[in-house]
Amino acid sequence: MAANTETMTINMGPQHPSTHGVLQLILELDGEIVVKATPHIGFLHRGIEKLSEHRTYHQTIPLTDRLDYLAPMSNNLGYVLAVEKLLGITDEIPERVQRIRVIMTELTRLKSHLVWLACHALDIGAMTVFLYCFRERECITDIYEKVSGARMTSNYFRVGGLADDLPDGLEGEIRTFVESMPAHVEEYEGLLTGNRIWQKRTIGVGEISAEAAIDIGITGPSLRASGVDWDLRRDNPYCGYEDYDFDVPVRTGCDTFDRYRVRLDEMRQSVRIILQALDKLKPGPILADCPKIVLPPKQDVVNNIESLIHHFKIVTEGFKTEPGEIYQGIEAPKGELGFYLIADGSAYPFRMKIRPPSFVNLQGLPQMVEGKLLADVIAVIGTLDIVLGEIDR
Amino acid sequence: MFKEFAKGLSITLKHLLPGNCTTVQYPKQKLEMPPRFRGLHRLIPTPDREKCVACYLCPTVCPAKCITVVAAENEAGEKYPAVFEIDILRCIFCGYCVEACPMEAIEMTDAYELANFSRDDFHFDKQRLLKP
Amino acid sequence: MTPEVLTLSETPWLYTGVMLVKIIVAFVATLLIVAYATYAERKIIGRMQTRMGPNMTGPKGLLQPIADGLKLFFKEDIIPSQAHWFAFILAPMMILAPAFISISVIPFGGDLQFSYDGILYAVPMQITDLNIGVLFIVAMAGLGVYGIVLAGLASNSKYALLGGIRSTAQMVSYELAVGLSIVAIFMLSETLSLRGIVAAQQLPLWGLESVSFIPNWYIFCQPLAFGLFVIGSMAEINRTPFDLPEAETELVSGFCTEYSAMKYALFFMAEYANMITVSAIATTLFLGGWGGPFYGWINFLIKVFAFMFFFIWIRATFPRLRYDQLMFLGWKIMLPLALVNIVITGIAILLW
Repeated sequence: MAANTETMTINMGPQHPSTHGVLQLILELDGEIVVKATPHIGFLHRGIEKLSEHRTYHQTIPLTDRLDYLAPMSNNLGYVLAVEKLLGITDEIPERVQRIRVIMTELTRLKSHLVWLACHALDIGAMTVFLYCFRERECITDIYEKVSGARMTSNYFRVGGLADDLPDGLEGEIRTFVESMPAHVEEYEGLLTGNRIWQKRTIGVGEISAEAAIDIGITGPSLRASGVDWDLRRDNPYCGYEDYDFDVPVRTGCDTFDRYRVRLDEMRQSVRIILQALDKLKPGPILADCPKIVLPPKQDVVNNIESLIHHFKIVTEGFKTEPGEIYQGIEAPKGELGFYLIADGSAYPFRMKIRPPSFVNLQGLPQMVEGKLLADVIAVIGTLDIVLGEIDR
Repeated sequence: MFKEFAKGLSITLKHLLPGNCTTVQYPKQKLEMPPRFRGLHRLIPTPDREKCVACYLCPTVCPAKCITVVAAENEAGEKYPAVFEIDILRCIFCGYCVEACPMEAIEMTDAYELANFSRDDFHFDKQRLLKP
Repeated sequence: MTPEVLTLSETPWLYTGVMLVKIIVAFVATLLIVAYATYAERKIIGRMQTRMGPNMTGPKGLLQPIADGLKLFFKEDIIPSQAHWFAFILAPMMILAPAFISISVIPFGGDLQFSYDGILYAVPMQITDLNIGVLFIVAMAGLGVYGIVLAGLASNSKYALLGGIRSTAQMVSYELAVGLSIVAIFMLSETLSLRGIVAAQQLPLWGLESVSFIPNWYIFCQPLAFGLFVIGSMAEINRTPFDLPEAETELVSGFCTEYSAMKYALFFMAEYANMITVSAIATTLFLGGWGGPFYGWINFLIKVFAFMFFFIWIRATFPRLRYDQLMFLGWKIMLPLALVNIVITGIAILLW
């Protein structure tokens, strides 16, 4: 008599402790072995791409905060760079702005990686790492708050510059925090890297070859852990990244453990970049000299009729761009974040397409987990570092 | 193998010692908000009226379209907002209204405890926005 | 004069009275330790994670377990409509009862002497001294599995089912390793009575007078068995790093996903009661029970609490194993090691 074997379909998510938001996975299980995994997305769709078609370029910046809400400044940067490229003012951005943008986006990378490590470790059961990571992340959100006024939805970068200069004394604070960071990374490593259980849970789990990763379009640390040496900060520099001396960590294990190691190394490299940027930071203007694009300073608005007119025009109508299409990709913490803008000459983009790294990386999930165990699904969701705000947009 | 286990255990044990606690006892003990903090809005008053001149810049720039302004003229012939309402449930606290205001008549305070019981309580009209 | 031993046939009333007192004291003490073990766990893990743990209810949060209990007691008790209601209700009882019953054979102190009616009586500080005490404990631990299986099956939920299956496999396989690891102890003590095992550990180490300050605790001559027992029992009571059946991040809550209110509280209590039982057994078998510098039961409690701290500490530090790795560890590493340990012990006993 043949044994009565049936596969069991379970619904993992959208309400599940470790699907990192509202990801739904339909898992077909044979015992504990995953036969088929189908990600269902769209539970957090807010139509940011469509909304942006009815908002001026300026008004879309706060919407980008809500894409990858764990790394808001990276989204701001990607969008702002795209609009600047469309306007053709990329070369007019003052040096101080570039430096501050680099400092803030690298802090964002640290922030995003800290949340990733926290959740990844928690998923695998090491809950103490979660709180240690959040302790450091708290320092970064404090810095965020002092710089931009919000802990997560920063809305700090502007087309042509920044919303405001760094507050007094913050440079020192950033330096102190960043210098303490390598010791904290050591602490996480002490709890995880050498631990046999951690190694057992991550080595050889969720393997994806370099070819498969490139075919799918996986970017970021997940790609670099498969042995592909590709980092937009170095290979297609923006924002003056060519001035900084940093390494791109690459590993060839293709598995969860190496993705973990790559991200930890990236945290150390971010620290290096921030320290260099802080050293190079000089006083200077924080807005480009483009009166038709950037808002004039407040005191000019009341005292100078020309500024007042610009102010009213920019606020009410926005600024117009030349018709055209541009693509700007940046190395966001999770991979290549791209903004593709089609302008029709009005103050609104005709179409904005976002290339979210999480969305593309998620496509690797089925082939990483099929044939593996249920517990590996959790580890792989964690290691891909997905954020549903960005996937569903 | 055992060395690494022991290392992990020593890290957690080290944190057990007093002085490592980072908790802020929130309702009892509150953090001081930095000056740039974007909390609840406030209309800045002058001695006899509000500073706002109802120029409509803030409802125009607002990405969430949560500000309603109706302009009127007072006896002295000055423009003032007869209605100035913010729907906090729609507000995304981006701070654009403050940035857009040419009169510096609106600011964002450090009030962040905005929970309330009914939807109507989130409609902030002029009187509520003028309160310090 | 040598004290009389209370028996049911000679002094029935006194015997019954003393027995009842012992049962009540042991039960209440266990319940209290269960309640405050949850508090201690939250406090200790909190501190290790740079948090504070409960500190609002009562002074230093000391009333938190009681508040939690009350909350769970008054919550709506939901039985899913598709669940098998009888098994669903039975399961939490099935899991809690064995956890508490095991306490009854554990000796938590030496003899207590008192005189009544001019006769000196000696009462062992143990509810009952079964001559097959260890077997009884192993049997009770085996019964605990049924509660989890029933909970997993009766809930009619896929996550609960997976949790139930995992836990059955885990408990059955680790019971074997644990059971075999303590066989070596019986070979040394030549008794299955827990009281006898403790008494055997009060002698100087290996019978050597020169090191008489070190007691003959079995941890010294059976370190491997001790290690196997501790790891195996962690797996058997579903503690991290072996908490797969209720792995929150994988199976939501495992076998107790569908449970609420007091039934959920029973699972929770059972987990901690099991932790106490396991610590008490480890203390009795390997650490010389109530022997030590202080008065009987104080030594015993200190050792039990030390074990529980260790379990909590482990939970704060380590990640969770995967199902297949757990099975690998149980069957391919721990079981052979336990067998080897028995063989070596046997040879050693034969030679000396």
